[in-house]
Amino acid sequence: MKFRWLVFAAIFFFFLTACNPDSSGEVSGNGSESGENELIIAAGSDMVTFDIHDHNNTSTEAIHVNMFNYLVKNDGEGGFVGDLATEWEIIDDQTWRFKLREDVKFHNGDPFTAEDVKFTLERVAKDNTLLEHGNYNQIAEVNVISDYEVEIVTHNPEPALLNRLSRLGSGMLPKNYIEENGWEHFLEQPVGTGPYKFSEWIKDDRVVLVPNENYFGEKPKWDRVVFRAIPEDSTRVSELLAGGVDIATNIPPDDWERIENDENLKLAKSPSQRVMLLVLRTADEYVTSDPRVREAIDLAIDKEAIVESLYNGAATPTRTRVTPGNVGANEKLYGTSLYDPDRARELLAEAGYPDGIEIQFDAPSGRYLKDKETAELIQSMLAEVGIKANLTFHEWSTFSEKYAEKSFGEMFMIAYGNSMFDAALALVRLKQAENVGETDYINDEVEELLQVAESNMNTEERIAQYQRVQEIIAEERPQIYLFQMDSVYGLKANINFEPRLDEMFYVDDITKN
Amino acid sequence: MSMQTQVEPNVVEGTKKDKSRFLKIIQSLLKSKTGFIGFFIVLTVVFVGVFANYLAPHDYAQTNVDNRLMPPFWMEGGSPEHILGTDNLGRDVLSRIIIGSRVSLLVGVSSVIVAGFIGLVLGLISGYYGKWIDQVIMRLVDSFLAIPNILFMLIFLAVIGPSLASIIIVLGFTTWVVYARMVRSETLSVKERDYVKSARAVGASDFIIIRRYILPNIISSFIVIATLNVATTIILESSLSFLGLGIQPPEVSWGLMLSDGRDYLATSWWVATFPGLAITITVLGIIFLGDWLRDVLDPKIK
Amino acid sequence: MRYFISNVIKIIPVLFLISLIVFILVRVTGDPVALMLPETATDQEREELREALGLNDPLYIQYFNYMKDVLRGDFGDSLRYNQPALGIVLERLPASFTLALSSMAVAVLLSVPAGIYSAIKRNTFSDLIITGASVLGKAMPNFWVGIMLILLFSVNLGIFPVSGSGTLAHLVLPSITLGTGIAAEMTRLIRSSMLEVLNSEYIRTARSKGLHEAFVINKHALRNALIPVVTIMALQTSTLIGGTLITETVFSWPGMGQLLVQAVNLRDMAVVQAATFIIAILVILSNLTADLVYRYLDPRIKYED
Repeated sequence: MKFRWLVFAAIFFFFLTACNPDSSGEVSGNGSESGENELIIAAGSDMVTFDIHDHNNTSTEAIHVNMFNYLVKNDGEGGFVGDLATEWEIIDDQTWRFKLREDVKFHNGDPFTAEDVKFTLERVAKDNTLLEHGNYNQIAEVNVISDYEVEIVTHNPEPALLNRLSRLGSGMLPKNYIEENGWEHFLEQPVGTGPYKFSEWIKDDRVVLVPNENYFGEKPKWDRVVFRAIPEDSTRVSELLAGGVDIATNIPPDDWERIENDENLKLAKSPSQRVMLLVLRTADEYVTSDPRVREAIDLAIDKEAIVESLYNGAATPTRTRVTPGNVGANEKLYGTSLYDPDRARELLAEAGYPDGIEIQFDAPSGRYLKDKETAELIQSMLAEVGIKANLTFHEWSTFSEKYAEKSFGEMFMIAYGNSMFDAALALVRLKQAENVGETDYINDEVEELLQVAESNMNTEERIAQYQRVQEIIAEERPQIYLFQMDSVYGLKANINFEPRLDEMFYVDDITKN
Repeated sequence: MSMQTQVEPNVVEGTKKDKSRFLKIIQSLLKSKTGFIGFFIVLTVVFVGVFANYLAPHDYAQTNVDNRLMPPFWMEGGSPEHILGTDNLGRDVLSRIIIGSRVSLLVGVSSVIVAGFIGLVLGLISGYYGKWIDQVIMRLVDSFLAIPNILFMLIFLAVIGPSLASIIIVLGFTTWVVYARMVRSETLSVKERDYVKSARAVGASDFIIIRRYILPNIISSFIVIATLNVATTIILESSLSFLGLGIQPPEVSWGLMLSDGRDYLATSWWVATFPGLAITITVLGIIFLGDWLRDVLDPKIK
Repeated sequence: MRYFISNVIKIIPVLFLISLIVFILVRVTGDPVALMLPETATDQEREELREALGLNDPLYIQYFNYMKDVLRGDFGDSLRYNQPALGIVLERLPASFTLALSSMAVAVLLSVPAGIYSAIKRNTFSDLIITGASVLGKAMPNFWVGIMLILLFSVNLGIFPVSGSGTLAHLVLPSITLGTGIAAEMTRLIRSSMLEVLNSEYIRTARSKGLHEAFVINKHALRNALIPVVTIMALQTSTLIGGTLITETVFSWPGMGQLLVQAVNLRDMAVVQAATFIIAILVILSNLTADLVYRYLDPRIKYED
């Protein structure tokens, strides 16, 4: 009898697997076949799109940089090197001229020319439905001077133009290919100028790139590059431990030991552009309108302890959001923090609250590494000095809605990135036009400095202006900066990879022993 | 599974009968191994939940980063201070499980009440009045059946934001269908019985008929399904936590603990394992109890 | 046949109700713009985008436009992918279908023998073990089982791949994770359906005629007990698809479940709506099919139309 059941079961199973539509067709993508030189990188989220102008996702850009080239590249120290452009000059306050490389071909064989630059930049500068529009709409027009020479004209003097052209969405698109085949076709079969070309994209699974043999620069090193999307942290770490991937991003601190103890694996860390901060309301109806209260909050929080215990040291306390590597960084405020709970209690008493205060505190959960734990620790640290913070967590979509509505109370926590590598973007939210309902911060000097610096073509003066703003902010605390977060990668021991400040994966900079 | 005891399906009045019935129930509880285990587990959990504040050895929300991820007391590095160890913020796992039982039970029981109420009302209307209103309600039931529970809750909570109240309401709004269908079909069959027909003939109002004849016939199936659904909702709540839309800290539930602890499964297993065990044992107890109740109260359904 | 047609007709208001439920759920308070733009975006940028997406229209106009498009199979473009939502959902269907099918296979393999065996051996120790195991299967959340399986079979033993798709080996752990949860419920249902058959009139008659017990079970009971399995399987479709949301997320399986979880998190309303519709249709169709198969297998059953 049992035997009959077994037969029945077996037949049933084979029947099911036989009518399984994918079991035979998909067997290709497995990592460990043959001796080919393959690199597998696992990130926490899937690539968003091949529309380089319609996303604001760093890990998507990290894939795109291998397929597309910028005109210029940020060297990470405030300077720029040519990529598709060989040289550039400022003609007048609103006009920049770029000379282009003449030996560049797109993956489909079309030559890259000034027409492509005009097409690409004007697309994002003029189409206001694109997500990156706001970072490029400073460009008024692009004039083709010759096949390999363009002029970019901006609406106002734009000191950070090179920053804007060397970041997310700055890749160059093939004008003819797109116009002939349509945009939909481009999204399915994207074509760029970069060292790798598109092979396949299985959404929420992997993007596969193969080498572009005709690349104008150094010959691509890998036979195949796979970017996998593994959103679950524990799964991503398991995949690394099981040897299924070469590099995994965002390794939670509590898993470091496991990885370091594994002789086949190692960790690589780098500071990132993300700074965790508290945003405080300074309008009269809030207790946080008193600068002494804001200072007390700052002094009550032991940033070093948070960094040590939660981040295992992989974060740097800071009193500014413009961290090193960004134009306008104030390094005096970086790498330091204030902590003095006794003084915090005194300040509260001076402000007229000897019995403490009660504030609303909103924080996202699950958006940033250890965000929930950080907020919970801050809450208990504030309680120590007599500040009762009513902590409310919001899952990210709710948080961003409230954030957009500006419906938070005295204080909320958030972590800002900065793909522009410029103080302008880092400080723009403190301008009075932007901060209503958020910080409500009013300081005429700050406002004046921000206005002038935005279009100041004198670099040194501009930097000094931004540095001054940071000093004032650190003193008056409409925002309290906590720490700059590191990005932490897990690697196979035989992989050489220097993590970058901008979190890009230039795969040809990665090698295998 | 357990002994099947025949009990009169219709409630008969009279204290003598009640007493013997009560004795019978106790008797069958003692006879049924699983029923007794289930009853015992549920009783314990309810006790813990009710007296959580007195039972928890520590403040469940008190963080202490120097003591984070301390193992249970019998392991090296553990301390009798924290019997089941501490979590990633140095909070006492045992205290959190004890306090968490409150929220888990609250969510389980309240959402069943919400769902039961909606299901009862709609099921009665649908079964008793029939016609177009029955059609409308049944199509609504079909629509809800066609959308997986977890998906429905996911969308709903993403929109209105997860909180204790919204989770209870959403769980209730998604699981009422079971009750509605059961109530409707029972109502349909009871409605046709002679004594109901004669009651109607002598002019009893709808309300009286429903109260006197229909409800008593439904109640036992209803209790069985409700009991079993408490287990289902406790599991659903933990799945919601996994998707980030469950109970939000500083409040704590078993589902949240389990879901937060999943990142520590390989390094500090106790953070997730104990709340996981709490869920499993409780659900086990509820299902055992529910199965036994079904055998005792309602031999018709299996 | 009349029964079939009347059932098909019933689907129409159901789909309409589903569209209404989903529309209300998704549109009433959700603001996708907040999620689409980075934290640093300005108010003006937000407003421009909102206008461009038609989110400033009154709700009933949005619903009207939406229904008009839905009837043409157009759910709008995915905010995440900027492509027609329906296409994106359909693209994911095969992966989820594969997972669902193999999970169902696991579930059937486990539950049919277990359910029948425990019914035959009612109230014995084996029955208790099987019942206990099935309750346990029900009492463990899916994601927990998945993570444990990964740690055990992939990280420690290295037998199966951790995550992703591509080969049959990739299918094993997710199918077990999803399959066992459903097997638990199915075992219980099959057990009671078998018990019902064993207690029925004609089995008793067969027994009373002095036929051998094994013969009675093989010849009469099994056949009749297996008929409801079709219905029981169909009843699990909704749970099965619901389970893919979590299982696919744990195992990075590129199906509709993971798509949905992310779409909800990103407020990608077009995808949520399209996927919910597709799922609803699948569930309804599978129930309808099961109904027909059931009637075909068991001609005794007559429905009141």
